[in-house]
Amino acid sequence: MTTYTICVFTENTIGLLNKITIIFTRRRINIESLTVSETERKGISRFTIVIKHEKREEVEKLVRQIRKIIEVLAVFGYLNEDIVYNEIALYKISTPLNGKSVDVETINKVYKAWVVYWGLDYVVIEKTGTETEIFDFFRYIKPHGIIEFVRSGRVAVGKTPQGLIEYLPEEITEWEYYL
Amino acid sequence: MGNLLEIELKQETFVTPAQEKEGQTFLSGAQAMMECLLAENVDTIFGYPGGAIMPTYDALYDYIDRINHILVRHEQGAGHAAQGFARVSGRTGICLVTSGPGGTNLITPIADAIIDCTPLVCIVGQVKSNLLGTDAFQETDMIGVTTPVCKWNYQITDPNEVPEIMAKAFFIAKSGKPGPVVIDFARDAQAAKMTKPFVYKKVEKMVSYNPRVVPKQEQIEKAAELINKAKRPYILFGHGVLIADAVQELLDFVEKTDIPCASTLLGLSAMPNNHPNYMGWLGMHGMYAPNVMTDECDVLIAVGMRFDDRVTGDSTKFAPQARIIHIEIDPSEVDKIKKAEAPVIGDAKEALKMLMPLVKKGDFTGWKNEFRKLDVKEYDKVTLRDLSQEGKIKMAEVVALLSDKTNGEACIVVDVGQHQMVTARYYQFKKANSFIASGGLGTMGFAIPASFGAKVGAPDREVVGIIGDGCFQMTIQELGTIAQSGLAVKMIILNNNFLGMVRQWQQLFYDNRYSFVELQNPDFITIARGFGIDGHTCSQRETLSDSLDKMLESKKAYLLEVIVEKEENVFPMVPAGTSVSEIRLE
Repeated sequence: MTTYTICVFTENTIGLLNKITIIFTRRRINIESLTVSETERKGISRFTIVIKHEKREEVEKLVRQIRKIIEVLAVFGYLNEDIVYNEIALYKISTPLNGKSVDVETINKVYKAWVVYWGLDYVVIEKTGTETEIFDFFRYIKPHGIIEFVRSGRVAVGKTPQGLIEYLPEEITEWEYYL
Repeated sequence: MGNLLEIELKQETFVTPAQEKEGQTFLSGAQAMMECLLAENVDTIFGYPGGAIMPTYDALYDYIDRINHILVRHEQGAGHAAQGFARVSGRTGICLVTSGPGGTNLITPIADAIIDCTPLVCIVGQVKSNLLGTDAFQETDMIGVTTPVCKWNYQITDPNEVPEIMAKAFFIAKSGKPGPVVIDFARDAQAAKMTKPFVYKKVEKMVSYNPRVVPKQEQIEKAAELINKAKRPYILFGHGVLIADAVQELLDFVEKTDIPCASTLLGLSAMPNNHPNYMGWLGMHGMYAPNVMTDECDVLIAVGMRFDDRVTGDSTKFAPQARIIHIEIDPSEVDKIKKAEAPVIGDAKEALKMLMPLVKKGDFTGWKNEFRKLDVKEYDKVTLRDLSQEGKIKMAEVVALLSDKTNGEACIVVDVGQHQMVTARYYQFKKANSFIASGGLGTMGFAIPASFGAKVGAPDREVVGIIGDGCFQMTIQELGTIAQSGLAVKMIILNNNFLGMVRQWQQLFYDNRYSFVELQNPDFITIARGFGIDGHTCSQRETLSDSLDKMLESKKAYLLEVIVEKEENVFPMVPAGTSVSEIRLE
């Protein structure tokens, strides 16, 4: 299984998420993570979708089918080595009065994580990093007792000198797709 | 709609007479919808009224002198009729139905139209926008329901959106690979007045959707190089040739290069069947030589077809030796099933035009003769038997006789099953856009509504529906539409009292276990008469010719029921999932 990151640029209209995800459903491809937000260009949304797949050509077909949706402006498919990517995770850690105190220095220096909220008997730690880094820290902090843990979807930018948005049609250009 | 989605607009604008008359008041959403239809030169719609679409039907009442509304008996009929209309005329078919069940009844035609690339604009009523999502009376989430089966959909909740959205709808439905567009029209948006003057600007390009029509020159050159080097080239053409109106271009190309060609099921009638380079059609029940020769060619030129599994059988074993040129307007179809060495993205008409000066004049007499040798085998084993005139009447002789009597010039609308395959085999098409079938979805019940839709789209042509007894009963109520609209549609039921194709499979692959395929049929002629349509039954070979004459001579709609051999099988046959080389002749 290879991890692919698919970046989709669309018009920011109602129902687009459904139109995109239904293509994955139909081809029986599970979505590992998904992040959507508006880009620096007003009215354009950017979807970052992570999937695992054995066959590159199937992913290429998927990319082309996503491109077919009328409101989709461009689709890019990436392997991990083509992109810089990160996720963010929040860990709500139990810190009872008589319990073991959290080692903030190790958390900061070794794990590059930050305490973002101090509750009465818990703290919330924020960490950004790859999936592996987030789970490494999870294993480290687990003995303290994890009350709640949440991980965002991946965000990614390509390792090319230009921004993806430069590929987008500002006016009428051609029906393009990339992988 | 954000400002960046602005579309490049044609400078043509319409200020409507209705608006001038009304002075300061602006059009309602429903009136605006009617004006949009007129601006797109729509003169016919197929529909069925109901609660949530009533404001639009009320507006339509003022337009009945300009828009012909055909009242169907079931929304599915409206959809298939619009398909028949679109397929025969090359125009966009329009459906107008209400919310909830009205919309859901239209799902089958929408799914049929997307898979067979038929341009439809379906205007579906919706509950008032303040009731959306509340499970209101006759509320169905049409956007959710139609998303997987339509090319585009949009919910209109503001009358001011009507002109812009309809302009997009018509552009999307007809351009690129055509398909159905669903407009979910909230009742309040139909009734409310616009707050600005009605201005309609046709859309010809959109930022996010701009399919390539003219192929890239380098793709054309690569394709031409492959064609010129080929020793045994073979053209497979499909529906795309008809959609692109590339019939003449295909003919010119074939005549210059002398390459043998074959059609897919939906490509039928794009090439005159008596042309010396036309080898027949291929696919599961297609002809022997066109199927087998896919394994013999060195260069396969696929024009406006998509390597459907009913064409390829096991696609990994389909033409593995061939270098493939794929002329296709939709980039997502290229390499989807068969890897193309030379893809040509663009419209078939433009692609063939651009190829013409680059390809050499050829002579493939020897290679064409190899096809003809195989034809003899098929003729001996299949055709002779089908046309033997022994025992009960066979479907093939009815179709062959009809083909003679209509000189191969009628528009033939078929349903789905054995009669469909037999018609495709034995009707000798001479004119384009003459074979209308539900190919991709295989929708039984397609033919009655599609044939009257085709008659509306081509009133001067003889339209003959060839329909199985099972199919006929799926949309039998549409006889009412035919009678009420006074459409001179001719229908032939090939009645074998069986769901014939399923029975054939049960016989061949399920050890003769006939599981629920025998039908106890009604008296079709009495039913037709009940609707006001004349007809008669023919069960004897001696009267078949006169029966067909009587039907064809009728100036009004006519139903001819022919009682045919009960357990007849359609051959050749490529069993599902096998390679075309495993084609069976008996």
